[in-house]
Amino acid sequence: MATSRPSITYAIDLVDVSKAFKRKTIRGGYSTVKSSLVQLFRPRQPKRATYTQVLRDVTLRIPSGSSVGVIGRNGSGKSTLLKLITGIYRPDCGTVQVRGRVAALIELGAGFHPDFTGRENVYLAAAMYGLSKREIAERFDAIVEFAELAEVIDDPVRTYSSGMFMRLGFSLAIHTDPDVLLIDEVLAVGDAAFVAKCKDEVAKLRKAGKTLLLVTHDLEAVERWCDEVLWIHGGDVRERGEPRRVIDAYREFLERGEEQQLLTQERESQDAEPTGGIETATPCGTESQRWGSREVEITSVRLIDRGAEERRVFHPDDALDIEIAYAVREPVQDIVFGIGIQREDGLIVHGSNTDIEREPVPALGRSGVVRYTISRLGLLDGTYHLDAAVHRADGYPYDYHKNALTFAVRSAHPQVGVIVPPHRWEFIVAEADAA
Amino acid sequence: MISDFAALARHRGLVWALVKRHLALRYRGSALGFLWSFLNPLCLMAVYLVVFQYYMRFETEHNYAIFLFCGLLPWLWVTGALNEGTSSVVSSGHLITKSMFPAHILPTVAVLSNLMNFLFALPLLLLIIYLAGEPVHLSWLYVPGIIVLQTLLLLGLTWALAALNVRLRDVQHITANLLTMLFFLCPILYPHATVPEAWRFTLDWNPFAVLTMMYHAAILEGHAPLLSQVGFVTVVSLGALLIGSLVFDSYRETFAELL
Repeated sequence: MATSRPSITYAIDLVDVSKAFKRKTIRGGYSTVKSSLVQLFRPRQPKRATYTQVLRDVTLRIPSGSSVGVIGRNGSGKSTLLKLITGIYRPDCGTVQVRGRVAALIELGAGFHPDFTGRENVYLAAAMYGLSKREIAERFDAIVEFAELAEVIDDPVRTYSSGMFMRLGFSLAIHTDPDVLLIDEVLAVGDAAFVAKCKDEVAKLRKAGKTLLLVTHDLEAVERWCDEVLWIHGGDVRERGEPRRVIDAYREFLERGEEQQLLTQERESQDAEPTGGIETATPCGTESQRWGSREVEITSVRLIDRGAEERRVFHPDDALDIEIAYAVREPVQDIVFGIGIQREDGLIVHGSNTDIEREPVPALGRSGVVRYTISRLGLLDGTYHLDAAVHRADGYPYDYHKNALTFAVRSAHPQVGVIVPPHRWEFIVAEADAA
Repeated sequence: MISDFAALARHRGLVWALVKRHLALRYRGSALGFLWSFLNPLCLMAVYLVVFQYYMRFETEHNYAIFLFCGLLPWLWVTGALNEGTSSVVSSGHLITKSMFPAHILPTVAVLSNLMNFLFALPLLLLIIYLAGEPVHLSWLYVPGIIVLQTLLLLGLTWALAALNVRLRDVQHITANLLTMLFFLCPILYPHATVPEAWRFTLDWNPFAVLTMMYHAAILEGHAPLLSQVGFVTVVSLGALLIGSLVFDSYRETFAELL
């Protein structure tokens, strides 16, 4: 045995941590004289306070120098976890240990006073971080320069925009020489250029061997930076480990949730919609609208995936069918079926009908289904509305169903634009390096 | 208690910065600014002076205005410290819930910033005494000692009150009303000697009344405060400190959840 393996030191070491909040305190009902007196006279009465369990037996051991991401829906306990690590909250059971100087980017500029100048606030807030006057003076210029606030640093911070305020807070926090950096959804400060700068800075700190705990909904950042990801759901650790795998599981979970939500919304709006008769179109946003003389009626519109399941959330690479069920009320000859896809912001992404494409419409009988098969959706992230219509070639509507349903596209890669063509990357190296 | 003071010493830079902020904030945006440190007590004194010099009279062996000012200045420190200190933790809730902030600094800052105001006004009192032709005493040198005792007493009380106020916000209102009452139970407007013998105990066992008498002795009468008075106030101050730090420590962990 020459050398024993060096034991790992954990920068953040949480073992079996649980935290519950008293319902009473959550509702903000601090006690009154009356309730205190009542309690005083009935000391043996068991307290009927109810507790909300926010975290349950969470273990999180982060070795020095590694980066961990915490993801989960709102209210899942992420922020409580951070506050336990910073010591703002005390755990009900379990142990919390943090080694090294912590910079908590929880609420940027929390200690700033609006009536003081940027300069005064930097000195004051840096003192709260535990820096001595000399240390602050040494870094002052760097802090101001990074925040890009040199011109206004001697104005009271109440005159700052919220972006400027947060920039100063961020700049200050990263200039305090932290060993451990806790970031709670604050990388969205200021304009795009500053966000990029912040991300660079965090990447730099990471490279310098600092420990990083990232709480965010920015899954892309988590995937890029973190060695491990913790997915918290309802106070429990639902999944943990390799970022790719955990994030995929989380994405899938989110999509399922979104799907449910879209379907419920649809059902509600259908219930609210009066049926029968000719309705006039009312110009209002994304509400479902319907008009036409109903010689031919659209009885339902569905989005079906390859497994014949109705869905509302798709990936860009998914194949799907739009199924329009119809019923013929009056015998008419001139019939055109059409569909249209609109992005949330009104951009028409795609629109077509059987007349444009010279697709002959066969004899329709009394009822049936028209299927528009898409072999690959090819749209990028966003919310889309689907229109379905049956009308005459001259445009006279039998049944025009605007925003018949809403669906969403979620892609794993943050590409920009509207569409993703089927594609691949190739590299043709003309001359190999001399080996 | 000792650990509380160690923590305060460790954060002395922060405490000092917050005291300065407190003082700067009070007069920021006002034209007379810093002068209000003198004008506030002077105006208050003028009111009492008119009432008690001309409407109702007390026989004092010293110039009544000076007697009044001598008791009023330390009292303004007491009310300022206790009123601001009691609500200090609640009103700075964002610091407790959003950052790792050593909470007991907040009431401490309330005590110290009001002490600073007192220290600014004290030379004015001594100057008035000199200009009025009253004797200048060597016993003025006892004043720093009295100030230390009062600081300790106020620290203990504000720690306890600030912590209790987080749990029960009535505390700040109760404190404000008790202070009004306490003002009349201190020999500030009237000399100790005018109180009937049977009621003197209400002064002799009231640490704030005793402190007032100690200032009178050292500044106006030119002799050291009675040893019994010093002993009494010392015991009460240390007791208050002990209880204050115990109360504060036992509530501290619940602050972030209650705010």
